[in-house]
Amino acid sequence: MAENFEQHSDVSAADLARLTQEAQAEATPSTAKIIWSEFKADKPAMAALFIIVGFILFVMIGALFINTPKMMETNIMGYFNQPFTPEYWLGADSGGRSVAKQLIVGSRNSIGIAIGLTVISSTFGICWGLISGYFNGYIDWGMQRVYDFMMMLPMTMMIIVLVTIIPHYNSVTLTLIFSIFYWEGTSRLIRSRTLAESEKDYVSASRTSGTNHWKIIFREIMPNISSLIIVDCTLSFAENIGVETGLSYLGFGLPSQTPSLGTMIANANDPNNITQYWWTWLPAALEIIILCLSISYVGQVLRRAADASQRQGAAD
Amino acid sequence: MWKTILRRFLIMIPEVIILSILVFLLAKAMPGDPFTGSINPKADPQQIHHLMKINGLYDPWYQQYWQWVVHLFHGNLGNSYQYQEPVTRLIAGRAGNTLWLALFTMILTYAFALPMGVFAGRHEGKLPDTIIRVYTYVTYCIPFFVILVIGIWIFGYVFGWFPTTGSISAEASGSGWLQTIGSRFYHILLPGILGALFGTVNIVQYLRSEVIDAKGSDYVRTARSKGVPSKDIYRHHIFRNSLLPIAAFAGYSITGLLNGSIFTETVFSYPGMGLLFVNSISYRDYTVITALVLIYGILNLIGTLLSDIILSIVDPRIRIE
Amino acid sequence: MSLVEIKDLKVHYPIRTGFWNRITDSVRAVDGITFNIEAGETYGLVGESGSGKSTTGKSVVGLEKVTSGSIMYKGVDITKKANRTKLDYNQDVQMIFQDSLSSLNPRKRIEDIIAEPLRNFEHLSKDDEKLRVLQLLDIVGLDADALYKYPHQFSGGQRQRIGVARAVATNPKLIIADEPVSALDLSVQAQVLNFMKKIQREFGISYLFISHDLGVVRHMCNNIAIMNRGRLVEIGTREDIYNHPLHIYTKRLLAAIPETNVNQRAAHRASRLAVEKIYQEQQSKYYDENGEAFPLIQVSPTHAVALPENIAKQLASQEGEVQA
Repeated sequence: MAENFEQHSDVSAADLARLTQEAQAEATPSTAKIIWSEFKADKPAMAALFIIVGFILFVMIGALFINTPKMMETNIMGYFNQPFTPEYWLGADSGGRSVAKQLIVGSRNSIGIAIGLTVISSTFGICWGLISGYFNGYIDWGMQRVYDFMMMLPMTMMIIVLVTIIPHYNSVTLTLIFSIFYWEGTSRLIRSRTLAESEKDYVSASRTSGTNHWKIIFREIMPNISSLIIVDCTLSFAENIGVETGLSYLGFGLPSQTPSLGTMIANANDPNNITQYWWTWLPAALEIIILCLSISYVGQVLRRAADASQRQGAAD
Repeated sequence: MWKTILRRFLIMIPEVIILSILVFLLAKAMPGDPFTGSINPKADPQQIHHLMKINGLYDPWYQQYWQWVVHLFHGNLGNSYQYQEPVTRLIAGRAGNTLWLALFTMILTYAFALPMGVFAGRHEGKLPDTIIRVYTYVTYCIPFFVILVIGIWIFGYVFGWFPTTGSISAEASGSGWLQTIGSRFYHILLPGILGALFGTVNIVQYLRSEVIDAKGSDYVRTARSKGVPSKDIYRHHIFRNSLLPIAAFAGYSITGLLNGSIFTETVFSYPGMGLLFVNSISYRDYTVITALVLIYGILNLIGTLLSDIILSIVDPRIRIE
Repeated sequence: MSLVEIKDLKVHYPIRTGFWNRITDSVRAVDGITFNIEAGETYGLVGESGSGKSTTGKSVVGLEKVTSGSIMYKGVDITKKANRTKLDYNQDVQMIFQDSLSSLNPRKRIEDIIAEPLRNFEHLSKDDEKLRVLQLLDIVGLDADALYKYPHQFSGGQRQRIGVARAVATNPKLIIADEPVSALDLSVQAQVLNFMKKIQREFGISYLFISHDLGVVRHMCNNIAIMNRGRLVEIGTREDIYNHPLHIYTKRLLAAIPETNVNQRAAHRASRLAVEKIYQEQQSKYYDENGEAFPLIQVSPTHAVALPENIAKQLASQEGEVQA
């Protein structure tokens, strides 16, 4: 059969290297590159990104140098030590424990869980949405009913109940429990876009080209909604920081000996702490606010950049 | 139309059944039994064994479940082990507080969101729009409980403008109805406002984009060219068209309000169902826990049902499923 | 033996109504059609939008679930998925889509788009595959620089040629061309059609050419089937259809071809109105009491029409007299 093509085309194996080189010179940058260059142009967003990445690296590495059990020991000498002193530069809590050190370890734990939760729940939500949207019919119907059921469950309550049932939980089990309940938003978004994409002819073309369903879903359709996925993951990450910290704040997240931004804010539950010893909880609250704002800001700019690349893609 | 509603209603039934089984099994799986230590710390193990037996706690789960369902239909949710009173009475005493707070929050949400959304859409790209967008962006991404804590700190403690605990002040509870209502209202004011500030995002964004879309649409341009004043265009043409879909948000927002009630009531020590749930978890009071999870689940379901019905009235395409 | 034999093909979509969503009726998109496609020929399938011609095309390529009937290829009924897989059916039967932009994945480079069927069916080495893609681009008249570009960087005509290159990649026996040029400018249409003809000559491919435009079909097809409301109303050679149309629907379609000669505008208009008048008056003669087309009746070895036998004979002889 190859001869058939040889016969009717002037291109032969000898030209291959030359033509490839020519084509490479004319190659168009990929969408990811376009998004990235759009993003780079936004200086505040770049600054926010650097702050986020730098901060995460700082707490991840800093926490390695802190001996957590020792830090969590009660130290009567430091009882509600004032902040901005050489020994306790963010003060100490009712147990004389350094707020600054707790903040570093707590950030590591809370951010780690948020990252884990984002990775697991987004992956699951994306797969769910893609499959449900692509296979119209009974599969979609069944998956939608499961989705409806999950939406009905009172999320926070269910998580708290599960946390009390599981005897020895740690940050990994906690992340998994959260993941059960936090994939719906992503899956809904992805499903609606997948439904629209599946209608397009390129999906039919792939099917007549002999590509199997899974390859079509993940190699053909998914790249077309990749900008949506990136933006959604970023925004979910900002949201997920609130999930663990919220539960820990109520006292059902990480165990009390494992510091978390949430347990630190829970210090505010004591009317004395909230006004008199504000340094025990306010830094953690401010940190969450700044972190969430900068992550969502990055997400917003990413969305704008993705839209811009889409516009470039559509223009012809 | 009625068919859609009825069918939607029928789909609910298996969902409620599965929910009840799930809730029941989870409650069974919770550690500890309700008798050990609750009657008398020194109680005889034999006696506890006996109590477990007459309460049917050794039966297979499906028999216990069936018993539970039968009792449920008789309005008997069991006794709270912590408070030693019927769960129905206990919850009835708390439900009012939660529902009033939720209702008040929802009213405030709409009161804030509607003008903001229309205003932002009307002045698209100008300063007021930018301010409103920054506001929605900030309230959207900060976790709710952090807003509550900061709010109670500033307005409750530092300025001392609002009460920080309870649903009614001690002085007001004994006096006349006017003081009672006044005090109750005073107690839900701050949590209501904070909840509303947090809940506006979706409505503002929806309304804003609706208004922007409608501004360019033919029917608005026609009205404009006929000389209808722009105030009337916004009021009669654009706003009225978006009203029903926005009303549909009310149903969906029930889920958010209920979820939020757990945090709000904890922060403000407000004696509603959310706080009751948190306390019951600490005491392993699982008759109360089961009842609350079930109630919250059913309320969620009713909320979604309401929204779906409203939407199916607005948009005939949804009716044919 | 013909390349593809379509026999009594039906594609019905259920209509669900009532409280329990039961199937109460169906939309009969394709309702019992039979025709054969010979090797190396271009078979035209013509009809207005909604007549079921695209659905027929999609059934032949295996994209549509067939309700009943058979499509025989190499002695196997390929309406069953298992048979298609066993034969690597789509290596031999490919498709060109109407909307060139939507049929090319916007996130893939041209090389990957054209190589997709090759990767699934032929498993060539990397260099052989690239060479084949370059040859294909050359065959449809595109430069090698296209290799690493994205679909949106090309014009409509160029994109459609990329679509043609992809369809030809595995050297198929049959290509379903679903309105391949109706989204293009007139000048570009001819260009794409000429490439398609050239490829047919060089590779001996058959086309099932689906179109609503009898002008284009005349340029391309040897045999033509006219489709109306899910059924075939007339089958014949180009000569039969264009010079001796028997069914009123065919006549209406022919009358709708725009006349470029300005001098005959009045005459053309008069004949169009005459056809329309006959259609209005004699609907009951051409369709049965349910408004559906009759079964096909053979009036000559190549020509068949969907009319009751006596009317068909009568019309055929009239038509013969006029021509003689």
